[in-house]
Amino acid sequence: MKDTDRRSFLKGMAGAGAAAISIRPRLEDLHLAAALGAEVKVAIIGTGRQGRAILGQLAKFENVKVLAVCDVDDRRLRSSLRRVPGAKAYPDHKKLLDEVKGLDAVIVATPTHQHRECALDALDRGLHVYCECPLAHRIEEAQAIAAAARKSRQVFQTGMQGRSNPIYKLARSFVRSGAIGDMVSLGAQWHKKTSWRTPAGDPAREKALNWRLDPELSTGLFGEFGTQQMDVLHWFLGQYPNSARGRGAVLGWKDGRKVHDTIHAELSFPKGLEVSYEATLCNSYQGQHELLVGTLGTVKLAWTAGWMFKEADAPTQGWEVYANRQQFHNDEGITLIADATKLAEAGKLEAGVGLPHPPLYYSLAAFLKSIDENQPALCSAEEGLRAAVVGILAHKAVTSGKEQVIDPELFNPK
Amino acid sequence: MILRLATQAMGTRFELVLGGEHARHLRAAGEAALYEIEECHRRFSLFGRDSLLSLINREAARRWVQLDAEAFSLFELCAKVAAASQGAFDPSVAPLMREFGFHPELPPGEPAEPSPVGWQHVELDPERQAIRFHRPHMSLDLGAVAKGHGLDLAAQVLREEGISCALLQGGSSTVLALGSPPGLSAWRVALAPTPGAPIACLKNAALSVSAPTGRQLELEGQVLGHVMDPITGRPWAGKTRRAAVLATDAGRADAWSTAMLVRGPDLVPPQGIQALLASGSDDALCWQLNKACPTQSFGSRFLVPPNQKQESA
Repeated sequence: MKDTDRRSFLKGMAGAGAAAISIRPRLEDLHLAAALGAEVKVAIIGTGRQGRAILGQLAKFENVKVLAVCDVDDRRLRSSLRRVPGAKAYPDHKKLLDEVKGLDAVIVATPTHQHRECALDALDRGLHVYCECPLAHRIEEAQAIAAAARKSRQVFQTGMQGRSNPIYKLARSFVRSGAIGDMVSLGAQWHKKTSWRTPAGDPAREKALNWRLDPELSTGLFGEFGTQQMDVLHWFLGQYPNSARGRGAVLGWKDGRKVHDTIHAELSFPKGLEVSYEATLCNSYQGQHELLVGTLGTVKLAWTAGWMFKEADAPTQGWEVYANRQQFHNDEGITLIADATKLAEAGKLEAGVGLPHPPLYYSLAAFLKSIDENQPALCSAEEGLRAAVVGILAHKAVTSGKEQVIDPELFNPK
Repeated sequence: MILRLATQAMGTRFELVLGGEHARHLRAAGEAALYEIEECHRRFSLFGRDSLLSLINREAARRWVQLDAEAFSLFELCAKVAAASQGAFDPSVAPLMREFGFHPELPPGEPAEPSPVGWQHVELDPERQAIRFHRPHMSLDLGAVAKGHGLDLAAQVLREEGISCALLQGGSSTVLALGSPPGLSAWRVALAPTPGAPIACLKNAALSVSAPTGRQLELEGQVLGHVMDPITGRPWAGKTRRAAVLATDAGRADAWSTAMLVRGPDLVPPQGIQALLASGSDDALCWQLNKACPTQSFGSRFLVPPNQKQESA
C-alpha cells in the first residue's frame, strides 16, 4: 500500500465510526480541560498522597474551585494547602460540610475505612460524591454506600480509573470486537518496592496514618490495588468472578508487620476463565498491569500505556500499517494510542505513546462532566460495590487461605 | 543508625542518606521524601506525555494554563533567576536543545521564526496562578532546576517528620544537607574525585555543580556540552569548566550553577548565593571563588586548598 493510500484508508476508518475495529479517537475524552459549563465548587476530604494528586489534577480545570480541604492530620493538611493556599482547612469533615457554603461536590480520599461516613454525610447534604476505590473495607459498608447513592439524585462516582482511561476504552473496544479472539486467560499484577508505611513518629499518628498495615482495617494488597484492577476485567468481560483462592506472606519487610507484603490469588469467572493475580511490596519489576490473553492475541494494559501482541494467524487490521511498535524480547507489541488517527494525520504518531494526562485526570474529568451534564456517573456506586465485594473476599481468601465463594446476592445495595 | 534509600527519577539516580534512631520511621520518612522526587519527575518531565510540563508546552502558546500553587512557585523561581542572571538561566531553551539534537527522545526540532526562545516571552499571572507563552513553538525545559526543586520538596517532608540529619543528592550534581553528621560541624562534599579538590561544607544548605560534560555533541569540529547559552542560541562553549554554587535551597543552587557556568565570573549573583568557578582543563581544574561572593554565608562554605588561586571580596 502506498503512503497516500494508507492515509486515505485511515481517514476512511476514522469516518466509519461504527466499523468493527476502529481506532477513532474520542478527542473530547482526551482534552476536557476547558469544557465545563458552570463552575463546580468542591471540597477534598483526605489529603494524603491521593488527595494531593487529586488537587494537582483539579487545578487544570478552569471551572473547578476547591473551597476547602480536610484531614485529621495537621501535616497532611498543611501540605495540601501548598497546592491550594486559598482553600479553607478543616480537621473534621462534618464541620467542613456544615460550614462551607455553596459546595457542589465532595471528593473522598480518606483511608478506606472512613469512606462510608464521609460519603454518606456528603450525600445527606445533597452533594455529588467522588469516592476513591475501594469503596469500603467491609461489605456491609460498601452496600450502605451504594444504597445511599442509589437513593440520592446526585452523581456518585467510584474512583476506579480504568473505565475513563482513553487507552483502556480503546483496548476494550478491540477486545469486545473479537480482535484477540476468545479469552483464555487473565492476569494482573501490582509490583512496587515500598515499605507501605507512612511516617508517623508517635502512636496516635501511627494509628491514624498506618491503617494499611493494621490487620483490622486493611484490605491488604488485593483490596487496595486488586479491586481497581479487577474492575477493569469486570468491565472488559461484563462478568464477575464467583470464587477466590489465595495465599500471602511477609517475605521482604520483616519489621513486625502482620499484613502480607506479597500475595498470590486466583479468581474464577463462570465458564472456566481464571484470573491470576499477584502483588508485592518487595520488588518493582513490571509495575502494575493487567493481561488479557485470547486465542488470537494478548492485550497488556499498564495504565499510562497499552499494547496488543498478535498471534501469527490473527487477521491484519488496516490501521496496523501505521501502528507504532515496541519490542519486548521475542514479542512485538503494537502500541495502543488513544488519539492515533489525529496524530497519524499530523505525522506525529510517535509522539502519541502514552496518555496526554495521568489516568486520574480522566477519572475526575468524567465525574465533573457527569455533574455538568446531569448524567449518571461513568463508574457508579454499584460497580464500586461489586468490585469491593470481589476485593474484600479475595483479601479474605488470601489471609485465611480458604476459598471464598463470591455470592452475587452480595452485589445488592442494602 | 544510617539508612540509605534511592530512586530513579529525572533520568538519573537520587539518593538519600538519613541519620536517626528509629529504623521504621527513618525508612517511612525517606520513602515519603523519595515520593516527592518521583512526583516532581511525573509533573515536570519534558519527555513524559502526561506531565504537567508537557501540558504547558503543548497548550501555553494558545491559552493560559492554570497551575496549582506548588507548581506555580517553581515557575516563579525560574522567572526570578532568569531576571537576576540576565537570561543566563533560561528554561525556554528547550526548542534549541531539540534543534541541536540534545533531546533524541523527542522528534527533532526545526528553527522557527520569530525565535521561540527567551523568558521574556513567558508570562506568569500570580492572580490566576497561570502561565502562557507569547510566541508559538515555545517550550520549557526544567532540566537546570527540577532536580534541585525535587530535593527541596523532599527535604521539606524530612524536616516535617523531624529528621534533622540527612544528605540528599540527585545525579551527583545537586546536593542538599540537613543538619550535619553526628559529631561533625557540616557535611563535607568534595567537588571532584581528585585529591586536593575543593570541599563544600554544608549545613542546612544546598550545593549544585554544573559542567559541560555528560551529553555532548560535535559541532564544526568542536565538542560541546549539553548546556545551552540562551543569549547566543548555541551550545555554551566558554572558558568556565565547572560552576559550583551554594545556596540555602537546592532549586536556587541548581538554577544558579547553570547561570554561573554560562556567564562566568562576570555575573554577580544575589545575596545568599556563593559561587566557585573552575577554569583550565578537565584534568587540571583551577578553582576560584567568585569575586563578588563573600567567602562565608549561612554557616556553609567552600574550602579551597591553598595551592588553588583564591580571591574574595
